[in-house]
Amino acid sequence: MENVSALQRTAGKKPWHKKLMDGFDNSNLFPYCLIIPVLLFFIIWNLIPTLWMIGMSFYNYAFTTGAPEKFNGISNLIDIMNNDTVWGNLGRTFTWVLATTGIETVLGILLAFLFWNSAKLPGRRLALTLLFTPMLIAPASVGAFFKLLYEPDFGVINYLLSLFGIAKINFLGDLKWAFPAVTLVDVWMWTPFMILITLAALGSVPKAELEAAEIDRLPWTKRLVHIIWPYGKFVLMLGILLRTIDSFKTMDLIFMLTRGGPGNTTELVAIGLYRKAFEGFTMGWSSTLAVILLFIAIAFTSVYLYILNLSNAEKE
Amino acid sequence: MHKGFKTTLYHIILWIVALIFFAPVFWIILSAFKTKDQILSIPPKWFFTPTLANFVDLFTRPNVGTYIRNSLLISAIAVLIALVVSFLAAYAFSRFKLKSTSLIMFFLLSIRMVPAAASVIPVFLMYVALGWKDTYPGMTLFYAMFSIPFSVWILKGFVDGVSERFDETGLVNGGSRLHVLFDVVLPQVRPGLVAAFIFNMVFVWNEYMFNYIIGGKTTTTVPVALVTWMLNQGGVDWTFMASLTVVFMIPPILAVYFFQKYLLIGMTFGTVRGEI
Repeated sequence: MENVSALQRTAGKKPWHKKLMDGFDNSNLFPYCLIIPVLLFFIIWNLIPTLWMIGMSFYNYAFTTGAPEKFNGISNLIDIMNNDTVWGNLGRTFTWVLATTGIETVLGILLAFLFWNSAKLPGRRLALTLLFTPMLIAPASVGAFFKLLYEPDFGVINYLLSLFGIAKINFLGDLKWAFPAVTLVDVWMWTPFMILITLAALGSVPKAELEAAEIDRLPWTKRLVHIIWPYGKFVLMLGILLRTIDSFKTMDLIFMLTRGGPGNTTELVAIGLYRKAFEGFTMGWSSTLAVILLFIAIAFTSVYLYILNLSNAEKE
Repeated sequence: MHKGFKTTLYHIILWIVALIFFAPVFWIILSAFKTKDQILSIPPKWFFTPTLANFVDLFTRPNVGTYIRNSLLISAIAVLIALVVSFLAAYAFSRFKLKSTSLIMFFLLSIRMVPAAASVIPVFLMYVALGWKDTYPGMTLFYAMFSIPFSVWILKGFVDGVSERFDETGLVNGGSRLHVLFDVVLPQVRPGLVAAFIFNMVFVWNEYMFNYIIGGKTTTTVPVALVTWMLNQGGVDWTFMASLTVVFMIPPILAVYFFQKYLLIGMTFGTVRGEI
């Protein structure tokens, strides 16, 4: 008893915030206190809206008519499943993700290898900053200005081509050219990101091992397979994952360049959805499509994390 | 001599690559100093008398100052909130091996993958119902949410890299948990914080769709202003576009220039702490 009161007395001498901290420190709740903010954000801005959206997907609800929402079961889902435009957009989105992420990854890796030993480059910091600028500019601006660059009459690109005797091409208005032209802008914008990621990945390879390989005169291919890949792959894979995610979501850029046209040759699923939701105001239908996209996103992420965990497990 | 030549050639090639990527941006910057006719003239004008009229015109337009202030405030506060929240969570995930860790980390990544148009629908409905649409807290907290997933991922990597001995030493020496958290661990994950800050800041800074949908007159940021003001009296207002774009690109470029070292280390997700 005396001991306890002694403890209480000493505890009482501590300033109030120390006392508070003691309760905090010794409690098992501490770790949970740390994740409360993240959970709050998650619940308010994700869980509740998502549940709301799932609920909404069973209704026929259009903003414009002002009519009360009407429960119509899974007819939205059935409508989407039979909607050729949606399927076309989904297919185009996968082509888009594959094309942009693929080109950006390959080009980014090659250029990063080129920049790898650039420590002595005069003005390296400035050179890298200039190299990274494309990804720092608002997609809205990039879209507007590339539209001007591609323009058949006032565009610099067509002017440069005409110097080589090539006839005017309406890049963004031509069914055949629009998709590649938009892809090129995305590649210009995001290859620097893959360069950055690959430079980081190469930086995570221990210098000592590279020097040892240099002394042993290990051939390039072996260095790549046995030293660089095992250390660098985690960061590289994470970079590719991030790029895949953002490529899947591309919206601002294409919206400014072509608004999904001509026809619907550059209409990705995100753009089609935007049209339906905020130009057509069919909230119920759009919610259903959004739920489907959510599931696609979850599936994608699972596969990627599975691969990432594998490469992580190998490392440890 | 031969080796010196090779190095010089190598350096020249590197600069050429950097300049190729920079060329379109350079063209935008040049446009900001041209008159409208010069911007649209073919063949393009490489030599011209630069004019500052576009910038003068830009800042005499109503609300441009407000838009820039909105962009600065919303993105900086959103990312700072996200970093604090993410750092606490990253520490908890890294140290306490909670059962829910991998599940939460997984969901955080999944949300990031949902296209903006899809994730904004429910938030839009919620904001309209609660009256949060076009309010600063509503806008800022939404962007904070959007910056959390990447920040948690990057910071967890860095906290994992800080040995638990630091925590133990701190606690044994009588420090509180929060002391360990903010005075012992935090300084060691600085590259991760900087990288997460820049990466998310650039994203929020340039983001258009969310601000357009769930923002409004009071919270308009520059990208939305760019898009809505682009069409002025029948034609595209190129001088306005160019000058606003140039002003708007300065902060992220300066950030990348001055914090480049941290950015490169930060992007390794904590697998390396030395210089790259």
